[in-house]
Amino acid sequence: MQMCKCGASSMHLHICTSAHQKIKSVSVLSLHNISKRYGAIQALSGVSFEVPPGSVFGILGPNGSGKTTLLGIVTDVLKADEGTYRLFDAQPAGHLRRQIGTLLETPNFYHYLTAYQNLQVAAAIKQKPEQDISRVLEIAGLTARQHSRFKTYSLGMKQRLAIASALLGDPGVLILDEPTNGLDPAGIAEVRQLVLRLAETGKTIILASHLLDEVEKVCSHVAILQKGKLLLSGPVNEVLAREDYVELSGPDNTVLEGVLVRHPAFSHILGRNGHLQVVFSQPVDLAALNAYCAEQGVWLNHLHIRKQSLERAFLQLTNN
Amino acid sequence: MLQIIRIEWLKVKSYRTFWILLLLAVAIIPAANYIGAEINSQIRDKAQELLPLSTYDFPLIWQTMASVNSYMTALFGFPLLILVTNEFTYKTHRQNIIDGWERREFVLSKLFWWLALGVLALFISMLFAVILGLAYGTHAFSLEDSRYMLYYFLQVEVSLAIALLIAMLVRRAGLAIVLYLAYTMMIEQVLVVTIKRYVGEVGGLLPLQAGDELLPFPIVGKLINSADRFDDSVYLFMLFVYIALMIFLVFRRMLKTDY
Repeated sequence: MQMCKCGASSMHLHICTSAHQKIKSVSVLSLHNISKRYGAIQALSGVSFEVPPGSVFGILGPNGSGKTTLLGIVTDVLKADEGTYRLFDAQPAGHLRRQIGTLLETPNFYHYLTAYQNLQVAAAIKQKPEQDISRVLEIAGLTARQHSRFKTYSLGMKQRLAIASALLGDPGVLILDEPTNGLDPAGIAEVRQLVLRLAETGKTIILASHLLDEVEKVCSHVAILQKGKLLLSGPVNEVLAREDYVELSGPDNTVLEGVLVRHPAFSHILGRNGHLQVVFSQPVDLAALNAYCAEQGVWLNHLHIRKQSLERAFLQLTNN
Repeated sequence: MLQIIRIEWLKVKSYRTFWILLLLAVAIIPAANYIGAEINSQIRDKAQELLPLSTYDFPLIWQTMASVNSYMTALFGFPLLILVTNEFTYKTHRQNIIDGWERREFVLSKLFWWLALGVLALFISMLFAVILGLAYGTHAFSLEDSRYMLYYFLQVEVSLAIALLIAMLVRRAGLAIVLYLAYTMMIEQVLVVTIKRYVGEVGGLLPLQAGDELLPFPIVGKLINSADRFDDSVYLFMLFVYIALMIFLVFRRMLKTDY
């Protein structure tokens, strides 16, 4: 049993309205068998997973895999055909969404209002103080252009404003759907740094992306969607486990392959692209492997240990 | 609700198009009635014996202005159409929900405008009725027959409810404006004339016509009213039914649909 700073004891989550707003013990978001269909297209099919508090939770999948539909449902802009979801272990409601900073798909602002005026509207709906607007504009690097109308903004500036809006009131949970969309390489790096900094402060971040390296660089957990189905979910290191493999060549790779399959730690051949790419069931010492081959009468002319690429690991996962 | 009104104020306070459309709807009330009162005063000077009570004298002025204004009720629909369809165009209706509004609150925010624009139309009409009545009339101020202003108010609310429903269903500004104009300027009139000719007085119960039936022009209206028209209470009842039905449809649509 823990005591929250606001005085409430909690085995279960309670939403604390005091400044620290630390989310305790239960999942921030839980999905149960969510399905959604658009006409003939099954956008989501029986998706269930939980987002643990304090995690940076990546929702990974190619374009059209259902990521935005899923986040649309949990923000109540879309209605699920089947299934339920809970926010902070409670029935979803507007006052719970106010505790979450959300950037969904494209930045949605009033074109005729300035950035500052748009954030005034957002702050009023979120019931956050207007004094926070200058802080988030500073984080997003938009202070100098805060009194320009939204319609004069570039794509990257619009995206930054959407991030600023999500940060209003310093929420404990953030939902970011493709947050680096439209940003230049420097902007992408900045947003990633920002996400990491926010994660270090204990915030829960739900990050949808089709960019593998983005998820690997910033996420602690991941759910992988493909054609509306959940393939896997869990800690990134487990879900996107990448095998080390050894790359070898000899005068005759067919003979070499025959030798390697008899190695006690041999697992499987990953590829035969010029060199043999061999996965062993346990780490092997390259000198010992070289000696083993020599003992079997094969003298190696190439021997290298490599890590499987993330793309390859992902494709392997999605092909299965 | 005060919080919702404050947020709506933040959305419109520097939106020039809205204020121009609103100004047009408001300004046409004194403009049209000023011209009416001016012409009326010239006729009166020449035909004082024929018409002892002028249409811009109290208490007839309430009915006169309600009747004249009823031709322009559709104008108040335009600022509402723009405000609602803007939300869909900019997808800010989604953002309002994402940021923490309930869907019900989004509908209430637009119902605020539905009511506020109607109240504004009523206020402006009454204000200028008093001004023109005192400036052009020869009779003392009186609230007798001011119920016609209430009929006018209800007709404005029906027009606004039609605009709101079209905007929520169609979502695109251009198409919504065309449909609204087509209905208020043409479709209903054609239906009314056709139904009245082939079926009977039931044609007078259509949404905008029900208001028109309650607002005949003074003196002239009595001459052309058909004998078998319904009692005023029937038309009044129908106005309430239409308003309730359209608000119900707006809620049903916006609470269940994907944003």
